Amino acid sequence: MSALVRALRAERIKLRHTLAAWMVPLAPGVILLLSLVQLGFAHVPPPGPTDPMEAWKHFCQGMFTLWLFLMLPLFITLQAALLAGLEHGHHQWKHLLALPVPRRTHFMAKLCMLMAMVAASTLLLAVATPLVGWVIMQLNPAQGLTGSPPWAWLVSRALASIVAAGALMALQGWVALRWQSFTVAVSVGTAGMVSGFLIGQSDRLGHWFPWSMPVQVFLRDGVHLWFVLVAGLVAGVAIAGFALWDCSRREYD
Amino acid sequence: MLAIQTRGLTRRFDGRHGVTDLALEVPAGSVYGFLGPNGAGKTTTIRLLLALLREEAGEIRLFGEPLSWTRRAPLSEVGSMVETPSLYPHLSGRDNLEVTRLLLDGETASIDEALALVGLTADAERRVREYSLGMRQRLGIALALMRRPRLLVLDEPTNGLDPAGIVELRALLLRLAGERGITIFLSSHLLSEVEQIASHVGVLHQGQLLFQGTQESLRRRHGDPLAIRCGDARAVCDSLAHLGEQPQLLDEGTVSVPAPRRADHEINRCLIERGHAIHAFGRRPHSLETLFFELTGQEART
Ligand SMILES: Nc1ncnc2c1ncn2[C@@H]1O[C@H](COP(=O)(O)OP(=O)(O)OP(=O)(O)O)[C@@H](O)[C@H]1O
Ligand SMILES: [Mg+2]
Repeated sequence: MSALVRALRAERIKLRHTLAAWMVPLAPGVILLLSLVQLGFAHVPPPGPTDPMEAWKHFCQGMFTLWLFLMLPLFITLQAALLAGLEHGHHQWKHLLALPVPRRTHFMAKLCMLMAMVAASTLLLAVATPLVGWVIMQLNPAQGLTGSPPWAWLVSRALASIVAAGALMALQGWVALRWQSFTVAVSVGTAGMVSGFLIGQSDRLGHWFPWSMPVQVFLRDGVHLWFVLVAGLVAGVAIAGFALWDCSRREYD
Repeated sequence: MLAIQTRGLTRRFDGRHGVTDLALEVPAGSVYGFLGPNGAGKTTTIRLLLALLREEAGEIRLFGEPLSWTRRAPLSEVGSMVETPSLYPHLSGRDNLEVTRLLLDGETASIDEALALVGLTADAERRVREYSLGMRQRLGIALALMRRPRLLVLDEPTNGLDPAGIVELRALLLRLAGERGITIFLSSHLLSEVEQIASHVGVLHQGQLLFQGTQESLRRRHGDPLAIRCGDARAVCDSLAHLGEQPQLLDEGTVSVPAPRRADHEINRCLIERGHAIHAFGRRPHSLETLFFELTGQEART
């Protein structure tokens, strides 16, 4: 266990001055900015709900759908590839794997790091969404955002979406570590994201596909919430276990 | 005590040689030059010694402890650098060492110690992106020293260094071997590069060990050839043949005698007495290539 903690501390140092580290605030920042511009200056308010709580939920849902549908799959693909690329790109495996540390420690640290970054970005979005809502309230009162935002609802849903992304994180993590080429990781991620965009809208299949699991937390009033929570967790652990086994038996260059 | 011992060590790649039936014996405290031309299997051997490759057959012992793909405990005694140094260019020299220190659970002092040993204390805070090739190579060695190893395994450590850098590196390695008693196993494709520091050499060719022993024993077995630069090489060849020697005509102006029977000065006197114009006369150190030809030739004969 302490080997893993030390490996995680080493990962944190490796991330200094990297694009991957900047991506953590930037990715949710883009979504927040888009919403702000779109809603803050919209002249014709959509015929939204009149109940303030419903208006808030509608607003948060819009923000998170954008995040979970579009940005998160892209973010996970890119972060996994960047994290793995730190080692692939600089001939690090022959150094790391010759250290007297269990091989799987290095791969486990990478997967943990990926999860931590996804969690950090998603929670950042959850915390910033009501703040942006408040700004919109001032700019464009017609949007109907009044009163205090549904914090507990929002944060619990955000946490659920992180768990529901478990399978996707483990899968992209494995692909990025297993294949040394950035192209492979990005191709798989893009293909999955495009398919997820179509499959995710299906009521029957959406909650079965790793790329569209996280968004189910917010779609259709969360009918598939519990399914994607359990599936994300179970499949995530299973795929991560497989990834550790597979990467540890490989001879890296 | 042997720092490295392998028996029957074999690893092939899709039927290609890799290394075959390797029996290395590297005495503790020695500086061992591991020689071979491109593709001989030096890197393959080193990767096997670091459990970066699965051995197909045979066994490895480091300081008597068995090591294999699945038994990696002896690696705690080894510092390594394979081909190019493994560095993160966006981090400072110190941060690069810190990453490895954390993984090894080493002491903070080991970083300054390693930096001082390779002479990078002043540049420790600069990013590695700004380092010269020689500085990177030295940082790579500092990285290998973080474990305070008993054995240092270096694959072509002089790769890309200029003559001054090579001299500097050689001095560093000699100091590590002399002051700290670290066993050094280093590969190279140039004999001239290791002959000044290696006490022992192993010669690898097409995945097989052709020679292993002290440098003196290699020289004794394969004395340097006599090289004669002269005006009329053909006439000199004839004269030498008359004397019962076995000369080889290298080109219009050079004759070589791989294994002279007489003393050098005697041959010289005979040639001058016969009126040949001799421009240069002396032993020319073996290039690794000629040594290889000799070694492979001998292998073929026996
Ligand atoms: N990963 C691999 N896959 C296939 N063949 C390999 C692999 N690694 C090495 N080989 C083959 O094994 C042989 C030995 O290669 P190796 O890299 O060990 O040689 P070397 O002595 O280090 O050469 P160099 O001086 O060029 O570095 C070569 O024929 C090479 O093509
Ligand atoms: Mg090599």
